[in-house]
Amino acid sequence: MLPDFASVNPETKREALAFLDSLDDARVIAGGTDLLVDMKRGESCGNVVDIMNVKELKRLSVNDGKIIIGSTVTHAAISKTVILNDMAQSLSVACGWVGSPQIRNMGTIGGNLVNASPAADSIPPLLIHDAILSIESKDGMREEALEDFIIAPYETSLRPRELLASVCIKGLPGYREGYRRAAKRAAWAISRLSVAWAISEDDDHFVDVRLAIGSCTPMPFRPRDVEEFLKGREKNDPVIREAVEIVAEEIRRISGDRPSFVYKMPVVKDLVQKALRG
Amino acid sequence: MKAIHFTLNGKKASCEVQDKELLLHTLREQFSLKSLKEGCGIGECGTCTVLIDDEPHYSCLTLASKINGHDVKTVEYLGDAELLHPLQKAFIDSGAVQCGYCTPGMLLSAYSLLIKNGDPSDDEIKEAISGNLCRCTGYIQIIEAIRNAAGLCKCKS
Repeated sequence: MLPDFASVNPETKREALAFLDSLDDARVIAGGTDLLVDMKRGESCGNVVDIMNVKELKRLSVNDGKIIIGSTVTHAAISKTVILNDMAQSLSVACGWVGSPQIRNMGTIGGNLVNASPAADSIPPLLIHDAILSIESKDGMREEALEDFIIAPYETSLRPRELLASVCIKGLPGYREGYRRAAKRAAWAISRLSVAWAISEDDDHFVDVRLAIGSCTPMPFRPRDVEEFLKGREKNDPVIREAVEIVAEEIRRISGDRPSFVYKMPVVKDLVQKALRG
Repeated sequence: MKAIHFTLNGKKASCEVQDKELLLHTLREQFSLKSLKEGCGIGECGTCTVLIDDEPHYSCLTLASKINGHDVKTVEYLGDAELLHPLQKAFIDSGAVQCGYCTPGMLLSAYSLLIKNGDPSDDEIKEAISGNLCRCTGYIQIIEAIRNAAGLCKCKS
Protein backbone atom coordinates (compact mmCIF):
# COMPACT_ATOMS: atom_id res chain seq x y z
CA MET A 1 0.00 0.00 0.00
CA LEU A 2 1.07 3.53 -0.65
CA PRO A 3 1.29 6.03 2.19
CA ASP A 4 -1.08 9.02 2.07
CA PHE A 5 -0.04 11.97 -0.04
CA ALA A 6 -1.67 14.75 -2.03
CA SER A 7 -0.88 15.00 -5.74
CA VAL A 8 -1.04 17.73 -8.35
CA ASN A 9 -0.87 17.40 -12.13
CA PRO A 10 0.57 20.63 -13.60
CA GLU A 11 0.38 21.13 -17.37
CA THR A 12 3.11 23.71 -17.82
CA LYS A 13 6.66 23.95 -16.51
CA ARG A 14 5.84 27.24 -14.84
CA GLU A 15 2.99 25.63 -12.96
CA ALA A 16 5.19 22.69 -11.96
CA LEU A 17 7.92 25.02 -10.63
CA ALA A 18 5.32 27.06 -8.73
CA PHE A 19 3.98 23.90 -7.08
CA LEU A 20 7.50 22.77 -6.17
CA ASP A 21 8.13 26.18 -4.67
CA SER A 22 4.95 26.38 -2.61
CA LEU A 23 4.36 22.78 -1.51
CA ASP A 24 6.26 21.41 1.44
CA ASP A 25 7.78 17.95 1.51
CA ALA A 26 7.16 17.50 -2.23
CA ARG A 27 8.55 14.83 -4.52
CA VAL A 28 8.45 14.89 -8.30
CA ILE A 29 6.92 11.89 -10.04
CA ALA A 30 7.25 11.07 -13.73
CA GLY A 31 6.96 7.38 -14.70
CA GLY A 32 6.73 6.30 -11.07
CA THR A 33 8.74 3.12 -11.60
CA ASP A 34 11.27 4.02 -8.91
CA LEU A 35 9.40 6.45 -6.65
CA LEU A 36 6.26 4.34 -6.15
CA VAL A 37 8.33 1.22 -5.45
CA ASP A 38 10.27 3.18 -2.81
CA MET A 39 7.01 4.48 -1.34
CA LYS A 40 5.50 0.99 -1.20
CA ARG A 41 8.62 0.01 0.73
CA GLY A 42 8.10 2.71 3.33
CA GLU A 43 9.31 6.05 1.99
CA SER A 44 6.81 8.85 2.34
CA CYS A 45 6.23 12.45 1.37
CA GLY A 46 3.41 14.92 1.84
CA ASN A 47 3.02 16.02 -1.75
CA VAL A 48 3.63 14.55 -5.16
CA VAL A 49 4.04 16.75 -8.24
CA ASP A 50 3.25 14.66 -11.32
CA ILE A 51 5.11 16.22 -14.27
CA MET A 52 4.01 13.74 -16.92
CA ASN A 53 1.43 16.16 -18.41
CA VAL A 54 3.95 19.00 -18.81
CA LYS A 55 4.42 19.31 -22.56
CA GLU A 56 7.70 21.30 -22.45
CA LEU A 57 9.37 18.44 -20.57
CA LYS A 58 8.38 15.82 -23.14
CA ARG A 59 10.17 17.44 -26.07
CA LEU A 60 13.06 16.01 -27.96
CA SER A 61 14.80 18.44 -30.29
CA VAL A 62 17.92 18.56 -32.42
CA ASN A 63 19.65 21.79 -33.31
CA ASP A 64 23.16 22.37 -34.67
CA GLY A 65 24.34 18.89 -33.69
CA LYS A 66 22.98 19.41 -30.19
CA ILE A 67 20.30 17.07 -28.90
CA ILE A 68 18.01 18.29 -26.14
CA ILE A 69 16.02 15.57 -24.42
CA GLY A 70 13.19 16.67 -22.13
CA SER A 71 13.33 14.99 -18.74
CA THR A 72 10.06 13.07 -19.19
CA VAL A 73 10.96 11.53 -22.55
CA THR A 74 10.53 7.79 -21.95
CA HIS A 75 13.13 5.08 -22.50
CA ALA A 76 10.82 3.63 -25.16
CA ALA A 77 10.78 6.94 -27.05
CA ILE A 78 14.57 7.27 -26.87
CA SER A 79 15.17 3.70 -28.04
CA LYS A 80 12.78 4.10 -30.99
CA THR A 81 13.74 7.56 -32.22
CA VAL A 82 15.72 7.17 -35.43
CA ILE A 83 17.59 10.46 -35.13
CA LEU A 84 18.90 9.45 -31.70
CA ASN A 85 19.92 6.10 -33.04
CA ASP A 86 21.97 7.93 -35.66
CA MET A 87 23.42 10.65 -33.42
CA ALA A 88 23.79 8.87 -30.08
CA GLN A 89 23.56 5.19 -30.78
CA SER A 90 24.93 4.09 -27.42
CA LEU A 91 22.10 5.94 -25.66
CA SER A 92 19.35 4.52 -27.79
CA VAL A 93 20.76 0.99 -27.41
CA ALA A 94 21.08 1.42 -23.63
CA CYS A 95 17.54 2.75 -23.23
CA GLY A 96 16.29 -0.27 -25.18
CA TRP A 97 17.79 -2.49 -22.45
CA VAL A 98 16.12 -0.77 -19.50
CA GLY A 99 13.69 -3.03 -17.60
CA SER A 100 10.85 -4.40 -19.69
CA PRO A 101 8.58 -2.91 -22.39
CA GLN A 102 6.20 -1.69 -19.65
CA ILE A 103 9.03 -0.05 -17.70
CA ARG A 104 10.38 1.56 -20.88
CA ASN A 105 6.92 2.96 -21.68
CA MET A 106 6.67 4.44 -18.20
CA GLY A 107 10.19 5.27 -17.04
CA THR A 108 11.86 8.48 -18.16
CA ILE A 109 15.41 9.64 -18.81
CA GLY A 110 15.06 12.29 -16.09
CA GLY A 111 13.87 9.72 -13.59
CA ASN A 112 16.81 7.46 -14.41
CA LEU A 113 19.24 10.33 -13.74
CA VAL A 114 17.60 11.63 -10.58
CA ASN A 115 17.39 8.09 -9.17
CA ALA A 116 21.16 7.84 -9.86
CA SER A 117 21.51 4.09 -9.54
CA PRO A 118 25.08 2.83 -10.13
CA ALA A 119 23.48 0.41 -12.62
CA ALA A 120 21.37 2.96 -14.54
CA ASP A 121 21.68 2.07 -18.21
CA SER A 122 21.28 5.60 -19.54
CA ILE A 123 24.17 7.09 -17.56
CA PRO A 124 27.31 5.64 -19.26
CA PRO A 125 26.15 6.72 -22.76
CA LEU A 126 25.27 10.19 -21.49
CA LEU A 127 28.72 10.46 -19.86
CA ILE A 128 30.55 9.78 -23.11
CA HIS A 129 28.42 12.46 -24.76
CA ASP A 130 29.40 14.96 -22.01
CA ALA A 131 25.75 15.45 -21.00
CA ILE A 132 24.82 18.81 -19.50
CA LEU A 133 21.68 18.93 -17.37
CA SER A 134 19.37 21.88 -17.25
CA ILE A 135 17.93 22.29 -13.77
CA GLU A 136 15.22 24.82 -13.03
CA SER A 137 13.47 26.30 -10.05
CA LYS A 138 11.09 29.22 -9.64
CA ASP A 139 14.10 31.45 -9.04
CA GLY A 140 16.07 30.53 -12.12
CA MET A 141 18.00 28.00 -14.10
CA ARG A 142 21.36 26.35 -13.67
CA GLU A 143 23.35 23.93 -15.79
CA GLU A 144 25.47 21.12 -14.48
CA ALA A 145 27.52 18.37 -16.09
CA LEU A 146 26.06 14.91 -15.43
CA GLU A 147 29.47 13.91 -14.11
CA ASP A 148 29.09 16.45 -11.28
CA PHE A 149 25.33 16.00 -10.80
CA ILE A 150 25.65 12.50 -9.36
CA ILE A 151 27.49 12.84 -6.07
CA ALA A 152 27.02 9.36 -4.58
CA PRO A 153 24.99 6.22 -5.33
CA TYR A 154 21.33 7.27 -5.44
CA GLU A 155 22.31 10.83 -4.53
CA THR A 156 22.42 13.93 -6.72
CA SER A 157 23.02 17.64 -6.36
CA LEU A 158 19.32 18.33 -7.03
CA ARG A 159 17.98 20.57 -4.28
CA PRO A 160 14.44 20.65 -2.90
CA ARG A 161 12.19 22.81 -5.14
CA GLU A 162 14.41 22.15 -8.17
CA LEU A 163 13.33 20.27 -11.26
CA LEU A 164 15.50 18.48 -13.80
CA ALA A 165 14.11 19.94 -17.04
CA SER A 166 16.28 18.52 -19.81
CA VAL A 167 19.50 16.82 -20.81
CA CYS A 168 21.67 18.21 -23.57
CA ILE A 169 24.18 16.11 -25.48
CA LYS A 170 26.22 16.57 -28.63
CA GLY A 171 26.31 14.10 -31.46
CA LEU A 172 29.74 12.60 -32.14
CA PRO A 173 29.89 12.42 -35.94
CA GLY A 174 32.66 10.18 -37.24
CA TYR A 175 32.86 8.16 -34.02
CA ARG A 176 31.78 4.55 -33.83
CA GLU A 177 29.80 4.08 -30.67
CA GLY A 178 27.92 1.47 -28.76
CA TYR A 179 26.78 0.04 -25.45
CA ARG A 180 27.17 -3.47 -24.11
CA ARG A 181 26.19 -4.92 -20.81
CA ALA A 182 26.34 -8.13 -18.85
CA ALA A 183 23.28 -9.10 -16.81
CA LYS A 184 21.82 -12.26 -15.30
CA ARG A 185 19.35 -12.64 -18.18
CA ALA A 186 18.97 -11.10 -21.62
CA ALA A 187 15.75 -9.29 -20.74
CA TRP A 188 14.27 -7.67 -17.65
CA ALA A 189 17.49 -7.59 -15.73
CA ILE A 190 19.63 -5.06 -13.96
CA SER A 191 23.06 -4.48 -15.49
CA ARG A 192 25.84 -6.19 -13.58
CA LEU A 193 28.39 -4.43 -15.77
CA SER A 194 28.10 -2.07 -18.67
CA VAL A 195 30.38 -0.21 -21.03
CA ALA A 196 29.52 2.64 -23.38
CA TRP A 197 32.04 3.76 -25.94
CA ALA A 198 32.56 6.32 -28.68
CA ILE A 199 35.79 5.96 -30.61
CA SER A 200 37.25 7.97 -33.43
CA GLU A 201 40.13 6.33 -35.22
CA ASP A 202 42.00 6.49 -38.49
CA ASP A 203 43.41 3.43 -40.26
CA ASP A 204 45.69 2.24 -37.49
CA HIS A 205 45.54 4.85 -34.72
CA PHE A 206 43.10 5.80 -32.01
CA VAL A 207 42.33 9.49 -32.38
CA ASP A 208 39.90 10.01 -29.50
CA VAL A 209 38.49 7.34 -27.22
CA ARG A 210 35.62 7.93 -24.82
CA LEU A 211 34.63 5.16 -22.44
CA ALA A 212 32.18 4.99 -19.56
CA ILE A 213 31.73 2.06 -17.24
CA GLY A 214 28.58 1.36 -15.24
CA SER A 215 27.60 -1.01 -12.38
CA CYS A 216 31.19 -1.43 -11.32
CA THR A 217 31.98 1.51 -9.09
CA PRO A 218 29.67 3.56 -6.79
CA MET A 219 28.85 5.80 -9.76
CA PRO A 220 29.27 5.14 -13.47
CA PHE A 221 32.53 6.83 -14.51
CA ARG A 222 34.80 7.81 -17.40
CA PRO A 223 38.23 6.14 -17.06
CA ARG A 224 40.12 9.30 -18.01
CA ASP A 225 43.61 7.82 -17.62
CA VAL A 226 42.97 5.27 -20.33
CA GLU A 227 41.28 7.83 -22.56
CA GLU A 228 44.40 9.98 -22.26
CA PHE A 229 46.72 6.98 -22.79
CA LEU A 230 44.97 5.98 -26.02
CA LYS A 231 45.05 9.39 -27.67
CA GLY A 232 47.03 9.02 -30.90
CA ARG A 233 48.26 5.51 -29.99
CA GLU A 234 48.65 2.82 -32.57
CA LYS A 235 45.75 0.40 -32.59
CA ASN A 236 47.30 -3.00 -31.91
CA ASP A 237 47.11 -5.88 -29.42
CA PRO A 238 49.81 -4.72 -26.97
CA VAL A 239 48.27 -1.21 -26.74
CA ILE A 240 44.78 -2.64 -26.18
CA ARG A 241 46.14 -5.03 -23.54
CA GLU A 242 47.83 -2.18 -21.73
CA ALA A 243 44.70 -0.03 -21.98
CA VAL A 244 42.61 -2.77 -20.40
CA GLU A 245 45.05 -2.99 -17.48
CA ILE A 246 44.86 0.78 -16.96
CA VAL A 247 41.03 0.53 -16.79
CA ALA A 248 41.33 -2.23 -14.15
CA GLU A 249 43.75 -0.04 -12.20
CA GLU A 250 41.36 2.95 -12.30
CA ILE A 251 38.50 0.77 -11.04
CA ARG A 252 40.65 -0.53 -8.16
CA ARG A 253 41.65 3.00 -7.28
CA ILE A 254 37.99 4.06 -7.01
CA SER A 255 36.52 1.00 -5.30
CA GLY A 256 39.41 -0.74 -3.59
CA ASP A 257 39.64 -4.49 -4.10
CA ARG A 258 36.15 -5.92 -3.75
CA PRO A 259 35.02 -9.55 -3.53
CA SER A 260 32.86 -9.13 -6.64
CA PHE A 261 35.95 -8.25 -8.70
CA VAL A 262 36.79 -11.94 -9.08
CA TYR A 263 33.83 -11.95 -11.46
CA LYS A 264 33.68 -8.34 -12.53
CA MET A 265 37.29 -7.69 -13.56
CA PRO A 266 37.52 -10.34 -16.29
CA VAL A 267 34.14 -9.22 -17.63
CA VAL A 268 34.96 -5.52 -17.66
CA LYS A 269 38.32 -6.22 -19.31
CA ASP A 270 36.62 -8.28 -21.98
CA LEU A 271 33.93 -5.65 -22.64
CA VAL A 272 36.55 -2.89 -22.90
CA GLN A 273 38.87 -4.81 -25.22
CA LYS A 274 35.92 -5.66 -27.48
CA ALA A 275 34.87 -2.01 -27.53
CA LEU A 276 38.41 -0.91 -28.43
CA ARG A 277 38.87 -3.53 -31.11
CA GLY A 278 35.49 -2.76 -32.71
CA MET B 1 -10.17 13.24 -4.66
CA LYS B 2 -9.88 13.95 -8.36
CA ALA B 3 -12.41 13.49 -11.15
CA ILE B 4 -10.93 11.69 -14.15
CA HIS B 5 -12.36 11.15 -17.62
CA PHE B 6 -10.89 8.57 -19.94
CA THR B 7 -11.72 5.92 -22.50
CA LEU B 8 -12.01 2.44 -21.04
CA ASN B 9 -12.24 -0.50 -23.40
CA GLY B 10 -13.59 1.70 -26.16
CA LYS B 11 -16.21 3.52 -24.07
CA LYS B 12 -16.14 6.84 -22.26
CA ALA B 13 -15.63 6.47 -18.53
CA SER B 14 -15.44 8.82 -15.56
CA CYS B 15 -14.82 8.35 -11.88
CA GLU B 16 -13.36 9.93 -8.79
CA VAL B 17 -10.01 8.74 -7.54
CA GLN B 18 -7.91 9.42 -4.46
CA ASP B 19 -4.60 11.20 -5.01
CA LYS B 20 -2.67 8.08 -4.07
CA GLU B 21 -4.97 5.61 -5.83
CA LEU B 22 -3.33 3.19 -8.25
CA LEU B 23 -4.93 2.47 -11.62
CA LEU B 24 -4.92 -1.24 -10.74
CA HIS B 25 -7.28 -0.63 -7.83
CA THR B 26 -9.50 1.82 -9.73
CA LEU B 27 -10.08 -0.69 -12.52
CA ARG B 28 -10.61 -3.67 -10.20
CA GLU B 29 -12.74 -1.98 -7.58
CA GLN B 30 -14.61 0.81 -9.35
CA PHE B 31 -15.03 -0.93 -12.71
CA SER B 32 -15.02 -4.59 -11.53
CA LEU B 33 -12.34 -5.52 -14.04
CA LYS B 34 -10.85 -8.45 -12.17
CA SER B 35 -8.73 -9.71 -15.08
CA LEU B 36 -5.83 -7.56 -13.95
CA LYS B 37 -4.24 -8.61 -10.70
CA GLU B 38 -1.74 -7.42 -8.21
CA GLY B 39 1.10 -9.92 -8.44
CA CYS B 40 4.40 -8.50 -7.26
CA GLY B 41 3.12 -4.94 -6.85
CA ILE B 42 6.51 -3.50 -7.87
CA GLY B 43 6.42 -3.64 -11.66
CA GLU B 44 8.15 -6.92 -12.31
CA CYS B 45 5.62 -9.69 -12.99
CA GLY B 46 3.21 -8.13 -15.49
CA THR B 47 -0.11 -9.53 -14.17
CA CYS B 48 -1.40 -5.96 -13.74
CA THR B 49 -0.57 -4.96 -17.34
CA VAL B 50 -2.99 -2.58 -19.06
CA LEU B 51 -2.67 -0.80 -22.38
CA ILE B 52 -2.52 2.98 -22.14
CA ASP B 53 -2.82 4.50 -25.61
CA ASP B 54 -2.18 0.95 -26.87
CA GLU B 55 1.18 0.58 -25.11
CA PRO B 56 1.63 -1.82 -22.16
CA HIS B 57 2.03 -0.27 -18.71
CA TYR B 58 2.08 -1.69 -15.18
CA SER B 59 -1.10 -0.49 -13.48
CA CYS B 60 0.38 -1.34 -10.05
CA LEU B 61 2.82 1.58 -10.50
CA THR B 62 0.50 3.98 -12.33
CA LEU B 63 -1.35 6.62 -10.35
CA ALA B 64 -4.97 6.61 -11.52
CA SER B 65 -4.89 10.40 -11.89
CA LYS B 66 -2.38 9.96 -14.74
CA ILE B 67 -4.92 8.41 -17.12
CA ASN B 68 -7.16 11.47 -17.37
CA GLY B 69 -7.74 11.98 -21.10
CA HIS B 70 -6.08 8.72 -22.14
CA ASP B 71 -7.25 5.46 -23.68
CA VAL B 72 -7.11 2.43 -21.39
CA LYS B 73 -7.64 -1.16 -22.45
CA THR B 74 -7.86 -4.34 -20.40
CA VAL B 75 -8.26 -7.87 -21.74
CA GLU B 76 -12.05 -7.45 -21.59
CA TYR B 77 -11.63 -5.22 -24.65
CA LEU B 78 -10.48 -8.18 -26.72
CA GLY B 79 -13.38 -10.56 -26.17
CA ASP B 80 -15.04 -12.93 -23.75
CA ALA B 81 -15.94 -16.61 -23.55
CA GLU B 82 -18.89 -16.09 -25.89
CA LEU B 83 -16.90 -14.30 -28.53
CA LEU B 84 -13.20 -14.95 -28.34
CA HIS B 85 -10.66 -12.75 -30.07
CA PRO B 86 -8.46 -14.74 -32.52
CA LEU B 87 -5.50 -14.07 -30.23
CA GLN B 88 -7.38 -15.55 -27.25
CA LYS B 89 -8.43 -18.53 -29.37
CA ALA B 90 -4.80 -19.04 -30.43
CA PHE B 91 -3.72 -19.11 -26.75
CA ILE B 92 -6.27 -21.86 -26.04
CA ASP B 93 -5.40 -23.84 -29.17
CA SER B 94 -1.67 -23.76 -28.38
CA GLY B 95 -2.09 -24.74 -24.74
CA ALA B 96 -0.68 -21.36 -23.71
CA VAL B 97 -2.99 -21.11 -20.69
CA GLN B 98 -2.57 -23.17 -17.57
CA CYS B 99 -3.38 -21.42 -14.29
CA GLY B 100 -4.38 -18.31 -16.22
CA TYR B 101 -2.91 -15.78 -13.81
CA CYS B 102 -0.51 -14.23 -16.33
CA THR B 103 -2.81 -14.64 -19.33
CA PRO B 104 -4.65 -11.27 -19.40
CA GLY B 105 -1.36 -9.35 -19.20
CA MET B 106 0.31 -11.67 -21.69
CA LEU B 107 -2.58 -11.18 -24.15
CA LEU B 108 -2.39 -7.40 -23.84
CA SER B 109 1.37 -7.28 -24.44
CA ALA B 110 0.89 -9.60 -27.42
CA TYR B 111 -2.00 -7.52 -28.76
CA SER B 112 0.04 -4.32 -28.46
CA LEU B 113 2.76 -5.98 -30.56
CA LEU B 114 0.43 -7.42 -33.19
CA ILE B 115 -1.43 -4.20 -33.91
CA LYS B 116 1.94 -2.60 -34.73
CA ASN B 117 3.62 -5.56 -36.38
CA GLY B 118 1.58 -8.06 -38.42
CA ASP B 119 4.49 -10.45 -38.92
CA PRO B 120 6.78 -10.42 -35.88
CA SER B 121 9.88 -12.59 -35.58
CA ASP B 122 10.24 -14.88 -32.55
CA ASP B 123 12.75 -12.42 -31.09
CA GLU B 124 10.26 -9.57 -31.45
CA ILE B 125 7.59 -11.70 -29.75
CA LYS B 126 9.98 -12.55 -26.91
CA GLU B 127 10.86 -8.90 -26.42
CA ALA B 128 7.19 -7.89 -26.42
CA ILE B 129 6.32 -10.33 -23.61
CA SER B 130 9.56 -9.89 -21.66
CA GLY B 131 7.73 -7.84 -19.01
CA ASN B 132 5.21 -10.61 -18.32
CA LEU B 133 6.20 -13.65 -16.29
CA CYS B 134 4.57 -17.09 -16.68
CA ARG B 135 5.42 -19.78 -14.13
CA CYS B 136 3.23 -22.61 -15.58
CA THR B 137 3.53 -23.36 -19.26
CA GLY B 138 6.78 -21.58 -19.78
CA TYR B 139 6.96 -19.52 -22.89
CA ILE B 140 7.12 -21.92 -25.84
CA GLN B 141 3.34 -22.33 -26.19
CA ILE B 142 2.73 -18.62 -25.61
CA ILE B 143 5.20 -17.65 -28.33
CA GLU B 144 3.62 -20.20 -30.66
CA ALA B 145 0.13 -18.81 -29.96
CA ILE B 146 1.24 -15.26 -30.71
CA ARG B 147 2.99 -16.39 -33.89
CA ASN B 148 -0.19 -18.19 -35.00
CA ALA B 149 -2.37 -15.17 -34.24
CA ALA B 150 -0.13 -12.74 -36.16
CA GLY B 151 -2.00 -11.43 -39.14
CA LEU B 152 -5.35 -12.09 -37.45
CA CYS B 153 -5.20 -8.82 -35.49
CA LYS B 154 -6.03 -5.60 -37.24
CA CYS B 155 -2.62 -4.08 -37.86
CA LYS B 156 -2.53 -0.31 -37.63
CA SER B 157 0.55 0.30 -39.74
